[in-house]
Amino acid sequence: MDMLSLFLISIPVGFIGSLTGLGGASILIPLMVFFGIPVKEAIASAMVSVVATSSGSASAYVRERLANVRIAMYLEMFTCVGAIVGATITTWIAPLYLYFFFAAFLMTSFLKVGGGSGQKGRPGERSGTGRLSGWLELEGSYFDEATGKTVLYRADRPILGGMGMMVAGLAAGMLGIGAGAFKVTVQENVLRLPPKVASTTSNFIIGMTALAGTSVYLFSGLLNITLMAPMAVGTTLGAVAGGRVLNRLTGTVLHVLFFAVVILLIAQMLYKGIASW
Amino acid sequence: MVRREAGGSGETRLETWVSYVLITGVVVSFALEVAGLILYYRTHHSFAISYGGAAFIRGRNFFSFFGRTLLEASRGITGLHLMVLGIAALILTPYIRAITSVIYFASRRNVKYCLITLFVLAVLTMSLMMH
Repeated sequence: MDMLSLFLISIPVGFIGSLTGLGGASILIPLMVFFGIPVKEAIASAMVSVVATSSGSASAYVRERLANVRIAMYLEMFTCVGAIVGATITTWIAPLYLYFFFAAFLMTSFLKVGGGSGQKGRPGERSGTGRLSGWLELEGSYFDEATGKTVLYRADRPILGGMGMMVAGLAAGMLGIGAGAFKVTVQENVLRLPPKVASTTSNFIIGMTALAGTSVYLFSGLLNITLMAPMAVGTTLGAVAGGRVLNRLTGTVLHVLFFAVVILLIAQMLYKGIASW
Repeated sequence: MVRREAGGSGETRLETWVSYVLITGVVVSFALEVAGLILYYRTHHSFAISYGGAAFIRGRNFFSFFGRTLLEASRGITGLHLMVLGIAALILTPYIRAITSVIYFASRRNVKYCLITLFVLAVLTMSLMMH
């Protein structure tokens, strides 16, 4: 594999990652492992492309006032610490375990499709309560284009939500992925944020979490510039293209694509893990 | 209180700043990496992945590594330098976003969020500097 083929592979990876909501790294790492790149190097290098794709889309979500920056900054305290711990674990443990952890964590992506109930965010009403949330000002609003109304919300159970996000950060740092599905699930089911706020705020947090994880890998001898650069360029291009066609595809097509990709990735990592036993 | 007309968290100015920081970081990084890949190919006539020492981020402190790369690049820029600077721009994007947030909350005298963002910035700084 050379830089050109890595760049060319990264474009459809970023595209599919954007369509399925998995993000580029979850797909790219098993693919790199398939092509013979050591799993730890693949994980460390993929984290940088997570920063690229997350920052690009988060910029739009913040400008559109969908992502809540205050809630994001509160939760980042937990995800950053989790990511640093997770990345440190990866630099220490045997690669064999990473295949199984990766496959197991990919299964949490199904949570996104199963769907958390979340807080439906009835227009004009705050359904979340709690003194701590109020003190931390974990609240906001967004304009829902579907209903044409402004939705007000407030996060519930901020301590429990923070703990959940620490687990998400740990997995992200350890496996070199955004762990977006898990972050959205915590925000919808524990913090009880409206789905649109949960997914956009999660995207915003992913970039900072990935930086925390990357900071551990920086001087571990795992970050290869000639791997990271073509990967970051390719996934960014693919993610931009994916974002443009997303609305043209039906939900059924997206679900089929999602299941096919996740099952394939789980199978690949399990196979690799069993083969290296 | 939530300002209905503003949306989001109500911190409209911060949201605008952060949005610009993020998109600028991604565009600058993308441009540097593409230029780096082209220059690398023109020099080496190959896109082979390098496993030499220069292809890896080295040192114990990201900021001194970044400064050293800038200094080396000023003496004679290579494709690898541009790629390193592109990756560094990407790494610095969320970091600058954290600095922007601290400055914003400090200017608003919002002690709670100044401390929260300072905590994240301190953790990141320590992790980028100390190995």
